[in-house]
Amino acid sequence: MQPIVSCRGLTKTYGKGALSVQALREVDLEILPGDFATLAGPSGSGKTTLLNMIGALDKPTTGEVAIDGQALQSLNATALSDLRLHKIGFVFQSLNLIPVLSAQENIEFVLELQGRPSKERAERAREALKNVGLEGMEHRRPAALSGGQQQRVAVARALISNPAIVLADEPTANLDSKTALELISLMYRLNQENGTTFVIGTHDPRVMEHTKRHIELLDGKIANDTRR
Amino acid sequence: MIDTLKTFGSLAWRNLWRNSRRTFITLIVVSVGLWSILFFNSFMIAWTQASKQATLSVLIGSGQIHAPGYMDDPSIDRLMQPPDAALTKALNAPDITAWATRLQLPGVVVSEYKTLPITIVGVDPALERKVSSIPGKVVKGRYLKDVSDDGIILGLNLAKRLKTGLGRRVILMSQNVEGKLAEQSFDVVGLFDADKNTEDFYAFTGRTAEQAFVGLKNQIAEIVIVTPDTVNVDTTVKNLQAAAPKLDVKSWRKLSLFLAASDTFMQGFIYVWLGVVFALMAIGIVNTQLMTVFERTQEFGLLRALGMKSRLVLLLVAMESAVMIGVGVLLGIVMAAATIWWLSSGVDLSAFAAALEMFQGGQVLYLKYQPQAFIQFSILIWLLGIIVALWPARRAAKSNPVDAMRRLT
Repeated sequence: MQPIVSCRGLTKTYGKGALSVQALREVDLEILPGDFATLAGPSGSGKTTLLNMIGALDKPTTGEVAIDGQALQSLNATALSDLRLHKIGFVFQSLNLIPVLSAQENIEFVLELQGRPSKERAERAREALKNVGLEGMEHRRPAALSGGQQQRVAVARALISNPAIVLADEPTANLDSKTALELISLMYRLNQENGTTFVIGTHDPRVMEHTKRHIELLDGKIANDTRR
Repeated sequence: MIDTLKTFGSLAWRNLWRNSRRTFITLIVVSVGLWSILFFNSFMIAWTQASKQATLSVLIGSGQIHAPGYMDDPSIDRLMQPPDAALTKALNAPDITAWATRLQLPGVVVSEYKTLPITIVGVDPALERKVSSIPGKVVKGRYLKDVSDDGIILGLNLAKRLKTGLGRRVILMSQNVEGKLAEQSFDVVGLFDADKNTEDFYAFTGRTAEQAFVGLKNQIAEIVIVTPDTVNVDTTVKNLQAAAPKLDVKSWRKLSLFLAASDTFMQGFIYVWLGVVFALMAIGIVNTQLMTVFERTQEFGLLRALGMKSRLVLLLVAMESAVMIGVGVLLGIVMAAATIWWLSSGVDLSAFAAALEMFQGGQVLYLKYQPQAFIQFSILIWLLGIIVALWPARRAAKSNPVDAMRRLT
């Protein structure tokens, strides 16, 4: 099975000389289609750095990253934007949504960037909101949604373009236990129903309990990679 | 692309009101700036036209015809014959509203108390009323009755300096055709009120009366013309020159260099004003847009992370500026139109009459809409505003999604 994400000998060094910090050290990693994985580790272990590499947001110092068989090193900024737009979905910890757009418009925005016609955009956005349990809240702006509802909208937006992988960085960090559990259950359901690949950067044990694969980073290296 | 522009336009409009106070400040800067440009442009044009009209209507007209050399040496030796058939036909063309012949000669006026240098102007009163404002400026006595009227009209200030007045007699002296000194007494039949220079140095009598005074038959010194449009007088000058190739035809621009220079200066001044106002506006626009971009760094990073290309981020921010400046421009147009409408019935500057006389200005200015200037300056301000706003837009476009993610997580 061809991996969705393939990292080979990945290193990332910030700064130069004596002040340099090595955030990733020779990381080899493959994410397979349908994986529902957590990327865990203490603060400074390199979780976000690795997610940035996988998400085509940053380039490694050395090593190679390939998404869906496409090597990122050779791509320019525009091609990387295209890759993010079509193949990667993002869910961040907070400030996920554009505040002046409604829930539906936030989701439609990705399709708009892809050049989809307005009728298709509206239909798919409504369907996506229904899928994450936010039917009837299409016209609410982020400020009128709870934190959990905002994260659901972000999940719906991440999935709207059927990406190869969804990267979520601390998606439950600002949520209470019940809402966090609901969000993880939602992502898990989508993974089960649609086979969408998720990689979730977290140190929330509630999240780790629900994932099928657990990757642990320590000092920029993969210390543990287990499947359940 | 149209869909994208529609979405971005809507997004830009909503983003404008995220910080309404800042938007209002920028709108005020743009609208007041444009208002000042449009208003001052109308004011300057009204001022220039009033000054030009006031000056040209006294004696100069839109243009004049002389014998060659008369302008350098306006003596009795450099006169010309009345217009022949070809020139008369050209003078009666539709682009000339009125014309009149004059005999202008240097001389002196003598009263019991004083002798002063003047220019003696012999006119045809019926024609003169169509080309000059002097007949309407007679405040005491009467204007000349006909071309043979041998009364004299003096300026109020000249009469005062001569210690003479209405009904008194003065003696005029000038060189006659034989090169000898001619002198004759004239009754003061009227006094006119004009600018100080005209009052002091010009005295008017009937043309044939002056011709008889210096021994001339029918020679004249000049033909003055009035055209409906003082801006495009060059074609008329060319036509007259073609009809009278041996004569010297000049437009008012050549006859009154000061007026022509002030006309050009006024046109240039509005662009200087535009530059000053725009510099202030640019500082306001760039400042507020930079603050907006700085505040929304995370949002731009998010957009970039979602796959929005940097050129689209630039387009989005540029559209926000375009919408904001566009609204400011519309407000400025409305404010300027309202101000000009309010002042279109006339701005009375008679309180500044002395200063206006010095600058040859009219005492009542009539402001008019200048549609071309409204369009030209509004588009210019809008485009220049968008261009300066590209700087903050570029900063937004360069937002690094990694930095944004770092801030978000």
